[in-house]
Amino acid sequence: MEIEKKDGITIITTDERLDAVVAPKLKDTVKKIAEETATKLIIDLEKTKFIDSSGCGALVASLRTLIKNQGDMKIARPSPQAQTLFQLTRLHRVFEIYEDMDQAIKSFS
Amino acid sequence: MDNPIKVKIESNADLLLLRPLDVFVRQLVQQIPAFADHPSEVDGIELAFNEAYTNVSRHAYKGRDTKGPISIGILIHLDRIEICLEDYGISFDPAQAKTPNLDEPREGGLGVWFIKKFMDQAIYNSSDGKNVLLMMKRFPKS
Repeated sequence: MEIEKKDGITIITTDERLDAVVAPKLKDTVKKIAEETATKLIIDLEKTKFIDSSGCGALVASLRTLIKNQGDMKIARPSPQAQTLFQLTRLHRVFEIYEDMDQAIKSFS
Repeated sequence: MDNPIKVKIESNADLLLLRPLDVFVRQLVQQIPAFADHPSEVDGIELAFNEAYTNVSRHAYKGRDTKGPISIGILIHLDRIEICLEDYGISFDPAQAKTPNLDEPREGGLGVWFIKKFMDQAIYNSSDGKNVLLMMKRFPKS
């Protein structure tokens, strides 16, 4: 998992797998980032080829944490497998999802 | 006559093994010619196995520093694959795994639903301290 800040937006790039092994780490990381009010966060899933229910749950928890602190979260570049799960669970209605990183960044302006 | 290919793995249900086992299951399924042009079906089987293993590690052996034993049996028949997980932890009541209300985003409780969604059959039994989950997926028709 990599974290960088660009033009006031925090970008978390998740690893190849977003599963039960790393889900708690993602939640903890977002919790710390969200301590700052009105955090703008993008979760970049470009490298993530596999996501499971724990990964989906961590994304839901992250969004909730951010909203609680007046922040917001966007998701960028999900794999076909992630898109399938988002559609199936209707999370595509909950998350703002962008196929392009520039669009995700611009969405905050 | 159907003479299935058999695989048996015995280990402790530690999350440390989740990824190597996921990858093993994925690569095994990818070797089956019937799945060659069906990558989403391969994803589904990997996910079902992942959820089942995670449930044993997290819930059946909840709170244990050293996880209890798990036995993973895989049978590749002519027309289907069967994956069986056996553990000796806290049993699970399948009746409690209701269809989730998808209008309320959830942070958990989707694992069993995914298993049912991506496999053709998932049967759970618990008796004499042993829990058995048998999952089956028919080969896609080309």
